[in-house]
Amino acid sequence: MAEIVVASGKGGVGKSTVSSSLSVLLKDKNIGIVDADAEAPNLHIIFDLNKWDEEIEYKNKSLAVIDYGKCDNCLKCEDACVYEAIYHNERVRIKEYLCEGCGACKVVCPRKAIEIKSGLLSGWIRISSTPYGPFVTSELDVGQPNSGKLVTEEKNIARGWIREGRAKNLIVDSAAGIGCQVIASMSGATHAILVAEPTESSLSDLSRAYNLAVHFRVKPYIVINKSNINPGFNGINVFARENGLEIIGEIPYDREVPRSMAYRRPLVIFSPKSISSRALMEISENVKKFLD
Amino acid sequence: MRIAVTGGKGGTGKSTVAINLAWELSKKFNVVLVDADVECPNDHILLSKKLENPREEYIFRPKFNYKKCIRCSLCVKNCSENAIVMFKEGYPFLMPTLCSGCKTCQLVCPSDAIEDDRKHIGNTYVTPVNERLTLVTGMLKEGEERSYPLVISTKKRANELNYDIIIYDTSAGTGNHVAAAIENAQLAVVVTEPTPLGLHDLKMILKLLEKEGKKGYAVINRYNIIDEMPELNGIEVLEKIPLSERVLESYIKGRPLSSIFPESEESRIFSEMANKLVELIWQK
Repeated sequence: MAEIVVASGKGGVGKSTVSSSLSVLLKDKNIGIVDADAEAPNLHIIFDLNKWDEEIEYKNKSLAVIDYGKCDNCLKCEDACVYEAIYHNERVRIKEYLCEGCGACKVVCPRKAIEIKSGLLSGWIRISSTPYGPFVTSELDVGQPNSGKLVTEEKNIARGWIREGRAKNLIVDSAAGIGCQVIASMSGATHAILVAEPTESSLSDLSRAYNLAVHFRVKPYIVINKSNINPGFNGINVFARENGLEIIGEIPYDREVPRSMAYRRPLVIFSPKSISSRALMEISENVKKFLD
Repeated sequence: MRIAVTGGKGGTGKSTVAINLAWELSKKFNVVLVDADVECPNDHILLSKKLENPREEYIFRPKFNYKKCIRCSLCVKNCSENAIVMFKEGYPFLMPTLCSGCKTCQLVCPSDAIEDDRKHIGNTYVTPVNERLTLVTGMLKEGEERSYPLVISTKKRANELNYDIIIYDTSAGTGNHVAAAIENAQLAVVVTEPTPLGLHDLKMILKLLEKEGKKGYAVINRYNIIDEMPELNGIEVLEKIPLSERVLESYIKGRPLSSIFPESEESRIFSEMANKLVELIWQK
């Protein structure tokens, strides 16, 4: 069993394109598909999914609520809030989207005017299936904390598929960045496909994502996307060589990629003979080697 | 004036818009550009600058003074992150990776047994770009889960500077770290691309802006990569930017468009965008 996380640090370098096409090409390997970007989930669009077999409400939000009957506007709560989620104009207010419900304000309130409500709705987990395998995605309600916990919930569902024999391998399409969602994606994964484009910014973000993979003992590989947009640049290759990383494929820039998105189809289905699809087929052959 | 540049989806061109906008505005105003994408900051690369003036940033972490501890377990019970566990003998013990630094344990402790310790979460930098433009960057420590506290530190560092205009360049996503980055802005420039993916995330970020009571103006980047523009559902469009050799070259060379292609259509777009934004804020 392999759990392959597709990450990059930098956004928009092609994680979802790679994840969706690999899911199609590796269908015979019993793939389960996880969209692990709860703050900007997109993979369901590529698979044109809009009906869910199951939608689970994620109730993990805690929130401070002020009883204005008791509050005397002493503002001690505002000072105590390290999240800067409390402010005042005429009276003290909680910014619901920033409050994590830690309870510091409740502790310092001399009038016992603050209660912490917990178990409030903060997102949704949605389960469906594609012709290529079972699919799970999630959506964090905007402005909320802890998207990583939501990703962990999704991965628990996907690991259930493996126990039940519905899937043998997982593809986890991670979020941009290196924060909690990416850490949740990497945690327990076996392999990481790090997607980069040949630019200095992508290289900088790649090295941060690579360090995370190493930290979580996930075996990293590199895919260079839009490989021909910056011919004078070989920074990704140098990085791969210096760190002993295998580059398992290079995908040239191809207008078929945004077109496939507009038509809501995985690239290798939409335009199987394109240069980018052919590159993805080669990549999938390389991935098969570490799936068995 | 306070402007946020955000977008939801990654790689739509937030940083490209932010640095070019900052560059144009710095021709008339003192500008601070805040790179609030603390997980993967890139603005300095797009401006060919090495980060300067590092400052280590910390959050609170509790340190237990076991001589004072009366083993009441109030800290354990009040930790919303379950970051404090109890030893067999009844003493508290911290699981540092779970701690969010909220200080509730210290506030609730009746015997003053919880002292201030601190945890390094990353660095902030202040880098002069030109005479009127300063870049403030947050860089999260690798392995640190929470980017939100460093976004706050980065904003604070920026606020120590003088400026006429401050621009907050956010990370991808729509969570609390983005909410914190756009919080102080008067309006938001929402950079998107004309694909269903870009528009899906655009809707999420507009929902966040609505929650924060702010208006967003869309910038459609690489509008020419798609033959037919998708429906924008009444979102106000500020500018459209083509995918062009010049935009790509400016990105790769790490130079704002108007500094290498001053007469180009693309640099005209950014200077127009800057003027429109100033006008929009004045109208307010």
